[in-house]
Order: sequence, then structure tokens, then C-alpha cells
Amino acid sequence: MSTLSVSNITDGTDTVETGYVVNGSAKAWVNWNGTGTVAIRDSFSVSSITDSGTGQYDPNFSSSFDNTNYVGSGAFAWGSNGNQMIALPDTVSKGRADTLAGNAYVDHVTIGVLYVGDLA
Amino acid sequence: MTHLWDRLAEAKSRLAPVQSKYRVLFEDPTQPDAPAAVLVPDPNWMAAALAGGVLPPIDTYLRDRDVPDGQPKEHPYAEPIGAMTEEEAIEYLIKKDIPPQVWRDYQGNRSVLKIVPVELIPTDRSFRNAWKINQTEMEMAA
Repeated sequence: MSTLSVSNITDGTDTVETGYVVNGSAKAWVNWNGTGTVAIRDSFSVSSITDSGTGQYDPNFSSSFDNTNYVGSGAFAWGSNGNQMIALPDTVSKGRADTLAGNAYVDHVTIGVLYVGDLA
Repeated sequence: MTHLWDRLAEAKSRLAPVQSKYRVLFEDPTQPDAPAAVLVPDPNWMAAALAGGVLPPIDTYLRDRDVPDGQPKEHPYAEPIGAMTEEEAIEYLIKKDIPPQVWRDYQGNRSVLKIVPVELIPTDRSFRNAWKINQTEMEMAA
């Protein structure tokens, strides 16, 4: 693999620091089916997910974060109001991704989550 | 040595994902009331494991568990290991992603960890929060 070492990227009009791009990129993401036999559709830098119960999943990262101050965000579709996705850091090598409808954990066919932060 | 994250990106661009034929069922002895958990291998990670030249030695992950947050870790820049079989990759994944009190420190009589073909995982999740590892050789694993 060759490496392009530059401080800025420009399209001729707008210029942005490469650090801005690197720091803002998702460091890990995963999309999975949470119904039937749970299976991962696609991902990046995730080695597995732990299915801990209805609506409770832990993505395990291939490349760990530097600290637990990283940020998670996710979504799933549910046919009523009041659904919520909890995407939080757990440890530097494992995140949390819970899906709820109201106050009850639920499984869903399409769940996606991503994590942004500094890598180890 | 390039960072593991960069190697994963390069591997994803050239390797077709591989859905594992295995799942790992486990129960954490420190959480006796929790249902059995199911470890689901990632298809892109499995492809990298089978191809070799991407993932670091498992020992680097285990040593990094003792490194405080914010301190340099060993696994991102460790020399990659060679190709694994799918069975070896599952063993690697157990050590990496399942707590050591399950696969290393447990000394009880109950089976708290089983590697099973994916077909033995129930597809009906109606009673998912009541799953326990079957202690006999029955048709279903959980």
C-alpha cells in the first residue's frame, strides 16, 4: 500500500485539512439483521457482534479506540413512535447498541450503528 | 508497518466477505441471571482471517487489555499473522471478543461455552431472554 502524505485536500475552491477528514471519519460501522438467526450484512473494523438478548447487541471492534470518549450513533426502523437506539461506548474494544420501542427491547430486521473517535 | 485500520480497509477492498458457518454460545459465570449470549462472526473479519496478512497475533490483543486507556497499544502496529482455518479463526475470536472468565478462568461443571453450527441456533427469538446453553446433547443448542 502506498501512502499519500498531505496536510490539506482541495478541489480548487475549497480546502480542508486532512486531519479534519481523518478525525471525522467513522472508525467502525456495522449493519445487521437482528431477527431470526442474527447475521451481519456488512461492516468495517468489526470482528463480531455479541447478541446478548432481545434488542441488546455489542459490536466488537477489530481496531480498538484509544479511550472510551468515542461516540456512537445508530438507527433502526420500527413501525411506531417512541423507538430509540442506544449507541454508546462500553470499552475501547466494544460498543453498545440497544434497540427499544418505548421502554421495551425489540429486535429488528435492519439495524445500523457507527462509531467515531480516536483509534489506539 | 501500516496501522491495522488501514490494513482492514485494504483487505475489504479486495476480499469477498465470508459468512461463518459457526456461532459461539456462551454464558458469563459472573452474570448468572443473564441469558446465553451468541457471538456472531463478522464476514469481512472472517475473510481477512482466512486470507492472512491482515490481523495481528491474538496475544497482542490480550496484552493490550492491561494497557490503560489513552496509552499506546501493541495490536495496531503488530506484524500480521498468516492465514487461519475457519476453526482457528473462531478460536481467535473467542479469545478476542469473549471475556476471559468464560474461556480461560471458569472452573465450574456447567458448559458455559459452545461452538455450534449456525443451524443449531434457534431462529424463533420469542423467548430470546430465556435462552440457556443446553447441558445435554439435544437437537437444539440453546
